[in-house]
Amino acid sequence: MLQFAGFWMALATFLSIWWGHVGVRKLEARSGNILPPALLLIGGGLGLNVYAAVAPNLTIAGVCSIIGITLLWDAFELFRQQKRVQKGHAPANPNNPRHAAYLAAGGHATTADLLDREPLDGQAAQPVLRGRPRVGVHMDHSMGD
Amino acid sequence: MYWWSGLALGLFSFGIIGFGFFWVIRMEYYLGYLWWPYPLAFGLLLVLASLFVGDAGWSALLGITGASFVWGATELKEQAVRADLGWFRANPNRKPDPPGLRWIKKIKAPHL
Repeated sequence: MLQFAGFWMALATFLSIWWGHVGVRKLEARSGNILPPALLLIGGGLGLNVYAAVAPNLTIAGVCSIIGITLLWDAFELFRQQKRVQKGHAPANPNNPRHAAYLAAGGHATTADLLDREPLDGQAAQPVLRGRPRVGVHMDHSMGD
Repeated sequence: MYWWSGLALGLFSFGIIGFGFFWVIRMEYYLGYLWWPYPLAFGLLLVLASLFVGDAGWSALLGITGASFVWGATELKEQAVRADLGWFRANPNRKPDPPGLRWIKKIKAPHL
């Protein structure tokens, strides 16, 4: 008989990491203040871990704890994501007053998603493009390799 | 009665995700993102193997580790872009070609 405990844990792990990357970015971009969602994530994370303690079987306990601990980390990631937006490493949402303030401050914040591009080359010695590439202009290969 | 086991699996998952950040950065630096099919296949094999391990605990550890490798495979491409942008150290030397490069280049590297 097949043992599905690992499969369910794998699914919980994969979806947790996925949400931790994609969901946290969206949540941070849409929240005017990240403290309330951070507190919600902490509450949810603690709740799931407490439930894991009394869960009826190992699979449910493991899945709850995997998601629970990841949610606790996601609360911390909201603050790290906020820093990435301020640095221009993640796109600012101009419709979010908090992000609009970063943009207006004239620092490094940008609405461009700099990660939304293909790598220059997989194997060649990589040219390093320091500083901020111009918005909307794709880097071309003549810059180094 | 599962309080310790469940929490241990949650902490193991947390640790293995942390290890994922480590190996994705190193693998992109030394080998390049075009090696992505190999951690993907390794991760899927681990998840598959977890189905045939009788003990639920060992099955869980294999499944969690496998899922983390599958995710890491999809993260290599974004890591290559981060290195291109100068957010991470870029390897000044040419990276080795992965086996099957011709076929790998025909498939768009997965990214979520």
